[in-house]
Amino acid sequence: MTTQPSGTWWRPVVPLLVPLLAGAALGAALQAAEPAIRLYAAVAPGLLVGVAGLLATVVVAAARLARQRAAVAAEAAERDATARAANDRLRFLMRLDHELKNPLTAIRAGLANIEQAGAAGPALESVSAQASRITRLLGDLRKLADLETREIETAPVDLPGLLQEVGEAVAAIPAAGERDIQWSVPQAPWPLPVIEGDRDLLFIALQNLIANAVKFSAPGDRVEVRSSEDDDWVLLEVADTGIGIPDDEIGEVWQELARGRAARSLPGTGIGLALVRVVVTRHGGQVAIRSRDGQGTVVSIRLPVQGRRGNETPVADLRQHRDSRGTVPA
Amino acid sequence: MPGMGAILRAGTSGPGARPVVVLVDDDEAITSNLAPFLERAGLTVHVAADGEAALELVERLDPDACILDVLMPRLDGREVLRRLRADGRWLPVVLLTQVGESAERAIALDEGADDYLNKPFDPHELLARLRAVMRRARPGRRPLSASPALRAGPLRMDRISRRAWLRDAELALTPKAMLLLDYLLTHPDELLTRDRLLEVLWGFDFPVGTRAVDNRIAELRRALGDDPGRPQWIATVPGQGYRFAASVEETR
Repeated sequence: MTTQPSGTWWRPVVPLLVPLLAGAALGAALQAAEPAIRLYAAVAPGLLVGVAGLLATVVVAAARLARQRAAVAAEAAERDATARAANDRLRFLMRLDHELKNPLTAIRAGLANIEQAGAAGPALESVSAQASRITRLLGDLRKLADLETREIETAPVDLPGLLQEVGEAVAAIPAAGERDIQWSVPQAPWPLPVIEGDRDLLFIALQNLIANAVKFSAPGDRVEVRSSEDDDWVLLEVADTGIGIPDDEIGEVWQELARGRAARSLPGTGIGLALVRVVVTRHGGQVAIRSRDGQGTVVSIRLPVQGRRGNETPVADLRQHRDSRGTVPA
Repeated sequence: MPGMGAILRAGTSGPGARPVVVLVDDDEAITSNLAPFLERAGLTVHVAADGEAALELVERLDPDACILDVLMPRLDGREVLRRLRADGRWLPVVLLTQVGESAERAIALDEGADDYLNKPFDPHELLARLRAVMRRARPGRRPLSASPALRAGPLRMDRISRRAWLRDAELALTPKAMLLLDYLLTHPDELLTRDRLLEVLWGFDFPVGTRAVDNRIAELRRALGDDPGRPQWIATVPGQGYRFAASVEETR
C-alpha cells in the first residue's frame, strides 16, 4: 500500500463510504416523497437499510470489476507489446539472415575459386577466415531464431545423467583442465527430480554456461556447478571466481551479440547467453545472473519440475525476473 | 530427345567422362562464382537463372544432377522439383535451402530431393554432396529419397505419414528418431558421420555433443532389436559415425 500512486489514496475508503452515502441519498429521496411513502418508510427501517446495503454492494462490486478489467487489459496490452517486440526482432533476424546469406555464399564460392586456381598466402587465408567468421555468426543468429519458433520435443530428462554428459564434454575444452571445477548433484534426501524437456537443448544451455565460466576466468580459478530442488523448480547454478561483469553491462548480457568489453579480446560471437535464455524460457523456466566486477559471476537457471507447475506448454515467455543487479528479461 | 541424351551418356560415361550438372540460382553472384569452381572440379556446368529455364535445360540436356535453389521468383525450386518428379525425371537433386527448420527438411525429403544444403555453404561440401548423390543415383529409376514407401527386409516405412513397422508391429519412435531412420533408409550403405546426422536432426550444425546422435541411434537400435555388437541394421563405423547395413528397396 505504501508504494501506491498518490491519486488512489481514497480507494480503500470507498467500500465504507458507499453504503453511508447511498443510505443518506435514499433518506433524502424519501423526505421529498409522498407522505404515504414516508409513513411506509418509517415503519420499515429494515427495508431502507436492506435497499441501501444492496445498492452499496452492487456499486462496490461494479467498481471492483471495472478495476480488475482495467488491470487485466493493461496486463494484456503489456503482454501484447512484449510479444510484438519479440516478433519484430525475430522477423528482423530472419530478414538479416536472408539478405546476408546469398552474398556470403557467393563470397565463399569466389574464395574457393581463387584457392583452386592455385593462389595462396596470408591475405587469402585472412579473408577466408573472416568469411567463415561471418558464416558462423549468421548461423548462430539463425539457430536462435529457429529455436524461438520450432516445436520442442519433450521427454523426461534425468538431470544427473545429463550433468555427467555435460561434464565429459566440458573436460574436452582445453582450458577446463586449468580450472578447479566442482560439481554438486544432490543424492540426499532424494535425487534431483525429473524435468520435462529437450535433452539436447538443455545440454547446449549447460555446456554454454560452463564454457563461459571457463572462458571468463583464469587458470586456478574455481568453477562450481550446483544443482538443487527448490519447491516445484530445479535450480541449476554455474558460478565462477572469474573476471566478472561490470555493472553497466549486466543488463545487456542476455541480448544476442552482446559482448562485454572484457569479451572483446576473446573469440566468440556473443550468442551463448542469448541461446541459454531462449532454451530455458522455451522450457518454461527462468534465467538470472549476478556478478561483481573482478570477483566472478553466477548464472542461475530455474526449470519446472515435471508435472508440478508451469510446464503446460513450452512457449517463449518473456517474463521479467528481477535480480539484485537489475531487471533481466528471462 | 531426352532419351537420346541418356543413351549417349550411358554409352560414353567411362572413367574419363565429365558429369553434366545443371546449376539453378537466380543470384548471378552465386552462379558466376560457383560454376567455375565446379567446372574446375571436373563437372560440366550449365547455369539457369530461374525455374522455367531450369526445366528447359533439364529437358534438353538430361543432366546427371541438378543443384536447385529453393527461393526463386516465379517458379521456385520446390515447384521445379515437383514438376521434374511428376515428369518421371529421377536425376539426383541437391536443394539449396534457406531455412534450417526441420519441417522444411521433411518437405524436401517428401518431394524427393536427394540432399539439401543450407546457404551459405562451403563449396567443397556442396561438391562432396553432389558426388555422393551421383554415386547413389540409379539411372532411370526413382531415387529412394523420392519414394513414398521403403522396405528393408521386415522393416517397412511409410515416409509420408512418418510411420514404420518391424514385421507387423508398429515402431513407437520419437519424431527425431523417425527423422533419423528416414535418413538412414534413404542413404543405405553410406558412411554417415555424426556431424552429418546432427545436421539432419537439427537442420544446422549444432554442438549438442556427439552423444545426441548416439542416444538416438541407441533408441533406434532398441526399437529394431539390433545388437550393437553384431548389428543387422545400423553398423557403427568406429571413430566416424554410422552406416545403414541392410539393403533398401522401394515399395508400391
